[in-house]
Amino acid sequence: MTGRVVWMHGDGLSVTDPALHAHPDAPAVFVFDRPFLRGTPVAFPRLAFMYQGVRDVAAHRPGLTEVRVGGVAEELAAFAARHAATELHVTRNFTPDFARIVDDLRAACPEVRVVIHEPERLTGYAGPLRRFFGFWKKVEREVLHGDAPARGHR
Amino acid sequence: MTGTPLPADLPDDRLPDVLGKALAGLYTGPARLPARPGGRTEALAALHAWTGAGYANRNFLHGNVSRLSMYLRHGMLGLREVAAHARSVMRGRERDEFLRQLAWAEFYRLVLRQEGARVLGNLEDPKYPARWTPDLPDDVRTGATGLPCVDAWLRHLMRDGWMHNHERLWFAAYLVHWRGVHWRAGYALFREHLLDGDIANNALSWQWVASTFSNKPYFMNRDNIDRYSSGRWCGTCTAECPFRAPYETLEGQLFGGRA
Repeated sequence: MTGRVVWMHGDGLSVTDPALHAHPDAPAVFVFDRPFLRGTPVAFPRLAFMYQGVRDVAAHRPGLTEVRVGGVAEELAAFAARHAATELHVTRNFTPDFARIVDDLRAACPEVRVVIHEPERLTGYAGPLRRFFGFWKKVEREVLHGDAPARGHR
Repeated sequence: MTGTPLPADLPDDRLPDVLGKALAGLYTGPARLPARPGGRTEALAALHAWTGAGYANRNFLHGNVSRLSMYLRHGMLGLREVAAHARSVMRGRERDEFLRQLAWAEFYRLVLRQEGARVLGNLEDPKYPARWTPDLPDDVRTGATGLPCVDAWLRHLMRDGWMHNHERLWFAAYLVHWRGVHWRAGYALFREHLLDGDIANNALSWQWVASTFSNKPYFMNRDNIDRYSSGRWCGTCTAECPFRAPYETLEGQLFGGRA
């Protein structure tokens, strides 16, 4: 028993994903979100593309990698319980669904600590945003010359 | 457990059948492999094959564009490693322009972080008196508008799960400005099919065209389509072309004058 599991989602289908990278031996799970897909048309090749991403992760990490179809929060709770995990690690994404799923999981499994890793960023920009042109003026040197802050810097 | 387990090592020749059965009722269209294979290994191969040669012609449909967007969208590649690769293999203005495109992806992600679910509604009022209908017309959904260029863009979307950026812009302008359909219907169609479909790039690009996240609506005319498609459709087209007019004329027709 590792005490930790990793939740892999559609924004981080690579062994370089920060949460997966931090815990290569921990069991990891990807869930095809049944309630979401019931209500949202998605063509099959998109789902197959994601599956191929998960398959590649599974082939290149020492830890167990599972694929499931179901409600995400419920599947994560059951996965953590099956592996007697006290921590679930995941890399943040900025979609509204991510925050909702984390809230649902915390409510369902208060005994499991959800540890959120920050995604990789191209720039260190942290100010308000309105138009690309203004953003570009702020980050141009950083992007063109590669002197962006180190990984994980906010 | 209420969910269904799936093996994590299905080979491609079994993938459509097994995944299709496991996801029955949860997807549209036939169960088939994507036009480009997913996964970090494939993504790295595509990245290493990308030299950026000819990127100066990126706005032409035949131009050499990277087609890395679907890998970036799913984290199979990271923006930083793609930027580092570009800095090492590309030069001059081509390199700078490619890096600027990566910054667009970062910008949209950060706007999503800032705005959250608000990106799924108009972030600003449209910059012209728009009266958009909510539903995607049937002829658009089936790719049978009768306009050879538009139907080709839709064919690329549905068959390949990918469109050149100019095709995306043209189609978005056609749907929103010419057909008077709300950008959210186009967003949903792209989300359904694009291998790189996501909330940030997809919704915000549509809003940029619609003028709810920009200072003016984007639109094109026939000359623009003919030029950047290198004459692919216009020379032999016999359809009644809605794009065939000077920009000033179209601006008046679509937006009631200066938008």
